[in-house]
Amino acid sequence: MAASKASRLGEEYETPKAAPPPAPVRPRLTLDFPRDRIWKTRIEKVNAELVVLTYGTIVAQLCKDFDSDYVEVNKQLDKMGYNIGLRLIEDYLAKSNTMRRCSNFRETAEMVAKVGFKIFLNITPTITNWTSDSKQFSLVFDENPFADFVELPDDNRAQDELWYSNILCGVLRGALEMVQMQVEAHFISDVLRGNDTTEMRVSLIRYIDDELPPEDD
Amino acid sequence: MSHLAAGKTAGAKEAAGLRYPSNGKTIYHRPLNRTKTAELSQSSFAYLFSEMVTYAQRRVTGIQELEKRLNLQGHPIGLKLLDLLLIREPARSQTRPLNIISLLHFIKINIWQHLFGRQADRLEKSSNPDTPDEYMIVDNEPLVNAYVSVPREMSQLNCAAFVAGIIEGVCDGAAFPARVTAHSVGGKEEGEMWPGKTVFLVKFQPEVLEREALIGRA
Amino acid sequence: MSYYFAVIGTQDNPLFEYEFGTSKQGGDGQLRFSDQVRHLNQFVLHSSLDIVEEIQWTNGQLYLKAMDKFFNSYISCFITGGNVKFLLLHQPPGANSSNVIGGVGGIAATTTRSTSIGANPTSPQTEEAVKNFFTEVYDNYVKAIMSPFYKANMEIKSPVFRSRVAAAGRKYL
Repeated sequence: MAASKASRLGEEYETPKAAPPPAPVRPRLTLDFPRDRIWKTRIEKVNAELVVLTYGTIVAQLCKDFDSDYVEVNKQLDKMGYNIGLRLIEDYLAKSNTMRRCSNFRETAEMVAKVGFKIFLNITPTITNWTSDSKQFSLVFDENPFADFVELPDDNRAQDELWYSNILCGVLRGALEMVQMQVEAHFISDVLRGNDTTEMRVSLIRYIDDELPPEDD
Repeated sequence: MSHLAAGKTAGAKEAAGLRYPSNGKTIYHRPLNRTKTAELSQSSFAYLFSEMVTYAQRRVTGIQELEKRLNLQGHPIGLKLLDLLLIREPARSQTRPLNIISLLHFIKINIWQHLFGRQADRLEKSSNPDTPDEYMIVDNEPLVNAYVSVPREMSQLNCAAFVAGIIEGVCDGAAFPARVTAHSVGGKEEGEMWPGKTVFLVKFQPEVLEREALIGRA
Repeated sequence: MSYYFAVIGTQDNPLFEYEFGTSKQGGDGQLRFSDQVRHLNQFVLHSSLDIVEEIQWTNGQLYLKAMDKFFNSYISCFITGGNVKFLLLHQPPGANSSNVIGGVGGIAATTTRSTSIGANPTSPQTEEAVKNFFTEVYDNYVKAIMSPFYKANMEIKSPVFRSRVAAAGRKYL
């Protein structure tokens, strides 16, 4: 089993500050390498349904633990995602083989959508709806493997309150923080809620100074 | 009969129920087999699984309780896979397991192959005459354990309890109620060849054996 | 020809119910059960669960065909992997619950197209049609239970599921 040890139990969860500092070598990102080849040859894979069902059981358990307080469930999912994001970036840099730092936020968006999501979820969300200052964009998900088998609870609340895939917001936030970008991410629509699209809004808050340790949430 | 009538009134409120996208992106509009052979990155699973374990860990007081919780999280997956894999069988082999052996074969072959890309390594019946209700499914190297390194103070923990829960879900769903637990046996036998070797102990409820005996006589 | 379809959970609890009329042989899909018959149908269907339990451990097929008959009502059964039962009660045309003594023979004799789906509940054509109906419902049922929010023996409330069952009924029955 060549899989990496993704976590050490009980060590890093409570204290995200203890996560390893950003790699000293500046990540150098280029946009023209063959993404499909990376997916086909460099990514160890598992059955998608194992992942999807595992995510489903996590969300269902959170809903149970928090007594269907969906706002709290969203927060918990975001938190889990954040923890994942902090660890995932190293994996991302290794797999994408990118060494150059993104020169601007637009380039970052490209890398997130076309490399990050491709590597981890084998999807490529569409980047759209940039603000004129290039600090905010949307990711529109035509495909979302997490939502494949899902119908939200028919309790007159879930479709207004639960963001089923909210873990992805946290992942983005955590991962970009590790490369010195403080971002905010949240879903603004979801086909599971009856919307016609699934759309995540991502905003750059600021670039984190190199001298400072990564911000805790 | 009153409960059937109750089911009817519940049906009447449906008009106010869920909203669906106009483009028909719901589970009902996608073929079930769409993701049958789809793949995702192993690390995605690794991250999710370890977050699940870490989260569960914060809500329990001991290892036993943690394993119980992982078991509970796997259980609904087993219930779902039972029908999902059955409906994907070719029509002629689409049969419900009617005895313990066919059920355990379904788990060892179909469930394992689907989730982990290979069959489980071995299937054994307890050789102890006092426990004819116990069976063992052996996995030399459970995939789920490849992702979590357990701290020394928790060395008793076997995260394959999650998989035990999946197995238990399959058994319960197929009407072979059982308790399934995961036990690390690596290093205790066969040297260190399979340090992560795990035995899933399947202990069926008495009524399962009683029914089996009845069917055998018929 | 009218049909009463129910999904019954493992605790013999109803998870879903749907009544409809035939769309074959010029049928308009409208239900022809009187209120009295509708009530009786629920009882008949429920009583047939005992028979299902008798045969479910000797026959591993999902589709158990017409396995019970109560006067002029036939009950076809399909069992899922998770031991949830799909039951379909069908009553051939001309029959109604007040006509119990006439029985099946009478119907067959007076029906010109005795092999048609509506007329003869035990003909191979009908068996095949019911099988196709069940198979399509099963596909949608598995989709319903795949949701992480679906727990065993929960009522299936999805309106999309209901419309899919209705469509399967129109298509095959």
